[in-house]
Amino acid sequence: MSDTPNLDPFGLARGWMSQWEKLVNEHGTQLLAKPETAQAMQAMSGAAMQMQAASQEASAKLLAAANLPSRADFEALGARLATIEAALARIEQSLRTVAPNSAPPRPPVARTRKPPSTSPDA
Amino acid sequence: MATASAGTAPSAVERAIQRNLKGLGYLASSAPVLGASPKDVVLSRGPLRLYHYHPLTDEVYRVPVLLVMATTNRGYIFDMVPGQSLVEFLLLRGYDVFMADWEAPRAEDRALGMKDYVEDFVGGSIAEVQRLTGESDVSLVGYCMGGVLSVLWAGLNHAAGPKNLAVFTTPVDFQAMTLFQAWSDQRYFDVDRLVDTLGLAPAEMLQTAFDMLRPAGRIAANFALLDNMWNDEFVKGHRMFDRWSNDMLPLAGEYFRETTKQLVWDNALMKGTMKVGGRAVELDKISAPFLHVTAEHDHIVTTGASAPLIGLIGSEDKEQVVLKGGHVSLIAGPNAVKRMWPRLDSWLAEKST
Repeated sequence: MSDTPNLDPFGLARGWMSQWEKLVNEHGTQLLAKPETAQAMQAMSGAAMQMQAASQEASAKLLAAANLPSRADFEALGARLATIEAALARIEQSLRTVAPNSAPPRPPVARTRKPPSTSPDA
Repeated sequence: MATASAGTAPSAVERAIQRNLKGLGYLASSAPVLGASPKDVVLSRGPLRLYHYHPLTDEVYRVPVLLVMATTNRGYIFDMVPGQSLVEFLLLRGYDVFMADWEAPRAEDRALGMKDYVEDFVGGSIAEVQRLTGESDVSLVGYCMGGVLSVLWAGLNHAAGPKNLAVFTTPVDFQAMTLFQAWSDQRYFDVDRLVDTLGLAPAEMLQTAFDMLRPAGRIAANFALLDNMWNDEFVKGHRMFDRWSNDMLPLAGEYFRETTKQLVWDNALMKGTMKVGGRAVELDKISAPFLHVTAEHDHIVTTGASAPLIGLIGSEDKEQVVLKGGHVSLIAGPNAVKRMWPRLDSWLAEKST
């Protein structure tokens, strides 16, 4: 038995934590893999989704009453912006083929590298 | 014995002091800057961002490399900080490196499906790499679901390439992912309702699912941080990985719906019945040299889920390598620097001329 004083306050906790982690992961995943757990989880997330949908609907009505844009309006705006972005991307693409990039190009690198084993100086 | 005692006791006291001092510093300091290797965004389409990294050598291999990131996470896991960046490593080894990375899909991206991700995003990235480099050959390197997208693209376009196909921890037998199977049980999980209600699969939901694979993981990680607060390298690594693992992305609704139905429920990739945009994915027709690197202790994509892939790929030149590490430590961090990166380089170099 060592007579060295253990001055590390984390020494004991480290061992305990390691065992706890192993135990919780092992038993936790067993529990989470059970069909009953999956059913409960999905029931909860289903209820949360329903609440979210109901709250979105209520918010939309409230915003409409206050003459303010709703989430759906912003989404529609986003969709229109995406269409414009896509059109811009197509224009950029076409321009690239017609005119070279205005930014100064980086010097091209030679695509001639060989793996070290086949290099003459390897 | 006296020497050992004298050696260990002050060290423990010193660590305790350092823990307190550095713990305060930890709370006050900002997180490290990640993903900062110089690059250009050469293609931006929906959630896709295609990066071209600035070469670090005067001479590069003829065949460019396209990294394809998993759709649930940010690509800076491949480019953490100098010295811990796969991108930087590949650049220094003389590769011309591109990465297909993802931004969070927006509400209007809800209709993006598997065909968009495979044909438009991966296929579009390959076409852009070919256009920019003037090379028809491209090496495709995918991680996790990025690996699935890469394999799907190769299975649809086997006549066109890629030149080389390397994937990391890529699932193919989704029946073997037992927890994900249990949570997405068709009897209880209504994916149509989720997608139709929310439009996107929320990042928080995906994060919770990943966390539940190891229920004690976060508490244990925080304890380990406290315990190692005296160790600057450990703290730096923890901050990088913690930030990355909390930085999850939502998924486009249709893509999530198709992934759930085709891959998770029908296990179509494993059964050889997978179709993308009505076209059959033929893994057995892939002829490009193929490398699959998996992790011995991967708790997300377990060996059972990833190991069968090698047998489904038609290539004559194919190899599966199992390395020490977990799902993330396989590709980033000190373990990856030592094991996976040199392995990838040695496999890819001779095939990149």
